[in-house]
Amino acid sequence: MIETREPTGYRQRQRRKLTFARLSFYTFLALIAVAWAYIFVEGDSGFTLLLEGRTWDNAGKFLTRLAGAGQDERPAFLQPEQWWATGRLAYNTLAMSVLAIGIAGFGAFLTFIFAARNISSGSLGGTPSRLGAAVYYFLRILYAFTRAVPELVWAMLIVFFLSPGILPGALALGVHNLGIMGRLAAEVVEDMDPAPARAMRASGAGIFQIFLYAILPQTLPHFITYLLYRWEVVIRTTVVVGFVSAGGLGLEMRLNLSFFHYDQVTLLILWYLLLVTGVDFLSAWMRKMARFE
Amino acid sequence: MPNGYHSTPGLKDATAPLAVVDNVTKTFPRVTALDHVALTIGAGERVALVGPSGSGKTTLLNLLSGMAQPDSGVVAVGGRDLSHNLPRRELSSLVGIIHQQLDLVPQLPVVHNVLAGRFGHWGVLRSFLSMLWPQDYHLAVAALQQMGIADKIQERTGHLSGGEQQRVAIARTMVQSPLLVLADEPVSSVDPARAQEILQLLLALTEDTGRALVASMHTPYLVSQFFSRAIGLKDGQVHFDIPAPELTQAIQSDLYGLGQEESIPHQD
Amino acid sequence: MRPARPLLESPHFLSLLLLGAVAWSLTGVAWGEPLLHTGGGDSALDMLLALFPPDLSPAFLLVCLQAAWHTLSIALASITLAVLIGFPLGVMASGALVSPDSRLRAPLMLSSRFVLGTVRSIHELVWAVLLVAAIGLSPLAAIVALGLPYAGILGRIYAEFLEDTPEEPLTALRSAGASSWQTLVFGRLPMCTPDLVSYTFYRFECSIRSAAILSFVGIRGIGYEIQLSLGDLLFSQVWTLLLALLAIVALVDFWSGRVRQSLLES
Ligand SMILES: Nc1ncnc2c1ncn2[C@@H]1O[C@H](COP(=O)(O)OP(=O)(O)O)[C@@H](O)[C@H]1O
Ligand SMILES: [Mg+2]
Repeated sequence: MIETREPTGYRQRQRRKLTFARLSFYTFLALIAVAWAYIFVEGDSGFTLLLEGRTWDNAGKFLTRLAGAGQDERPAFLQPEQWWATGRLAYNTLAMSVLAIGIAGFGAFLTFIFAARNISSGSLGGTPSRLGAAVYYFLRILYAFTRAVPELVWAMLIVFFLSPGILPGALALGVHNLGIMGRLAAEVVEDMDPAPARAMRASGAGIFQIFLYAILPQTLPHFITYLLYRWEVVIRTTVVVGFVSAGGLGLEMRLNLSFFHYDQVTLLILWYLLLVTGVDFLSAWMRKMARFE
Repeated sequence: MPNGYHSTPGLKDATAPLAVVDNVTKTFPRVTALDHVALTIGAGERVALVGPSGSGKTTLLNLLSGMAQPDSGVVAVGGRDLSHNLPRRELSSLVGIIHQQLDLVPQLPVVHNVLAGRFGHWGVLRSFLSMLWPQDYHLAVAALQQMGIADKIQERTGHLSGGEQQRVAIARTMVQSPLLVLADEPVSSVDPARAQEILQLLLALTEDTGRALVASMHTPYLVSQFFSRAIGLKDGQVHFDIPAPELTQAIQSDLYGLGQEESIPHQD
Repeated sequence: MRPARPLLESPHFLSLLLLGAVAWSLTGVAWGEPLLHTGGGDSALDMLLALFPPDLSPAFLLVCLQAAWHTLSIALASITLAVLIGFPLGVMASGALVSPDSRLRAPLMLSSRFVLGTVRSIHELVWAVLLVAAIGLSPLAAIVALGLPYAGILGRIYAEFLEDTPEEPLTALRSAGASSWQTLVFGRLPMCTPDLVSYTFYRFECSIRSAAILSFVGIRGIGYEIQLSLGDLLFSQVWTLLLALLAIVALVDFWSGRVRQSLLES
């Protein structure tokens, strides 16, 4: 009886699920079509510009000036003094990214354990309490909010009260990544093998010891790996946050663009690419270490 | 007395049984895992739990360890009712359990997994310090020496072989030094030669007067060789409770209707 | 007695290295000068208090809705572009189309990987700044600025998924005489469709946030309105806009979660 009923029930469920995925797919395609139509209808989409020769002239001119052609002096990116002068900005940008990762890392590290459901429910150790549950929901909402607001918007808000420098930018990046890191770390704890923690509790360990010897060793490698991945994203975004937070390469790039010093812009982009590549390399090296194999 | 093993804390009443399971019932959503089970275990006893898979052996061991609580009835060890929230230090000196899955933290060096047996005696500060500078180091060394793997003390636990990890788990219990040692299927996944070694090591844990061992077993000849008493479980009830040497014969003549095939060594 | 482990392998070493790096970064902060603006504390407080309540007047909600749709339409258009560019490049980078012993294989894979890597390493806002300088301010500039780096990310991940498909069914196809194209279309692609779709959806969610910040170069949308309201010190409007952004992202997150679930279960 049961054997004949279950497979059909299962198949029906499958068909419904499939239609949900399919329906979503068609909805998504429809949304895309509406979006493109809207962009073309709503105003000047910019696509007509592509048909004008003037646009291509300008774009060509822009590219040649980026390459430093057509100016009297040597382009900035061929002058060692200029590299030296902007190196200070690159240094600051790197510091900003590391500080941002530090803020995100510390913030997440201090809170993620209370944002894991198996901790707040007491199933790994400790005792469940109203306070624990309240803290759990508070942290999950905090993480969701901090990560939904983009770094640049955080920066626009923060420059309202913090003095310019690397701190506002780092804070903006740090707050956004705190939400991302906190959620990831809490999920790692939730997916963790609970058996060693339970066994420790049985042999007389308290909640602090369980945290230090069962939870941390199992989650720290993941935590550090994610943190390093985020660092790769953060170094790319540091420039962008610099546009508004008055620090590092970003601000200088923006100023040079508005003064039409395009050869300087190229120099800054080269620094940027150097930083990005360097951080990718460092992060990969440290991630290999973080596996602790 | 084996190295690194503390002297037995005296029982309040030397004549009282070490562990009492009184009319205990434990149910899970679909099954009654233990059905009105009553047992007493005295100091010095070496008890083998036998019975087909699903008969309630693991459940009984978990109740005896205080990790799970019965639905009704009382489990007491060393005269203390385990359903009362005992201070963790006291509970850890009463019972220690070695699960089939061992439950070690694979990322930690062996020394910390062994010293986890001391957590009941440490406060926050000492536990923290131990992370950087292992506390009670000599206890870990002595226990691992007895297990014959002292050279692995700094190795990452996950890198050890299955047999070595089992020795680490036994060393942890040795450092914990409980009165009642529980082991869930300690030899069901090792070859016969290794099984003899492991059982010898487990017996060493309870060699002192005043201690006892309870292990779930699948291999009748090992039971008669190493244990003093065999308790048969079936469908959550005590089916027989006999001196261990009688087990082989009892099974051969199928005295208890266990069914041959179910008691023959198997691995699950 | 304690055999020392190689320094570089110790977990403590990496932690110390990271802590040291953060300590170094702190030296970059100008601690001598006041960290807050004069009156900065007050504006922070004003900003916080403006949450109670956010501006929920019908007129402003309409502005919000329009801005949200603007942002969403840019995100949708740019993810289309990203898939159109990223998918072919990703297929090339995975090497699925050339036979393993072809001499073309290495150059093709490397060059497509290089293109994907380059467009990816430049942040979308930097692309936007450059494109606006080159072709002027328009939705087109925004769509291309978002589409390029997203194509880079999608392409790389598509390539990884295609490479990670189990080999056995493909060998069976090949031994039945299927060409590289047929193995791709009837073997690899169907096998990793759930992964491809759910990852694309996840990136769409990210592209909404990215589209919102393109306001910085003057593209209309949620970020643009946030900038306007901030300029007028209308903090309660800022909160409304932030909550609207949160709502869209949460909605798409929920949707993609459901799609992923149904794809994995089927
Ligand atoms: N956590 C649990 N949830 C539900 N049922 C369980 C649980 N643990 C054990 N059981 C059930 O209780 C019965 C006894 O299980 P167990 O004590 O593990 O038997 P054994 O160790 O003898 O194989 C089995 O029917 C098993 O399915
Ligand atoms: Mg069992």
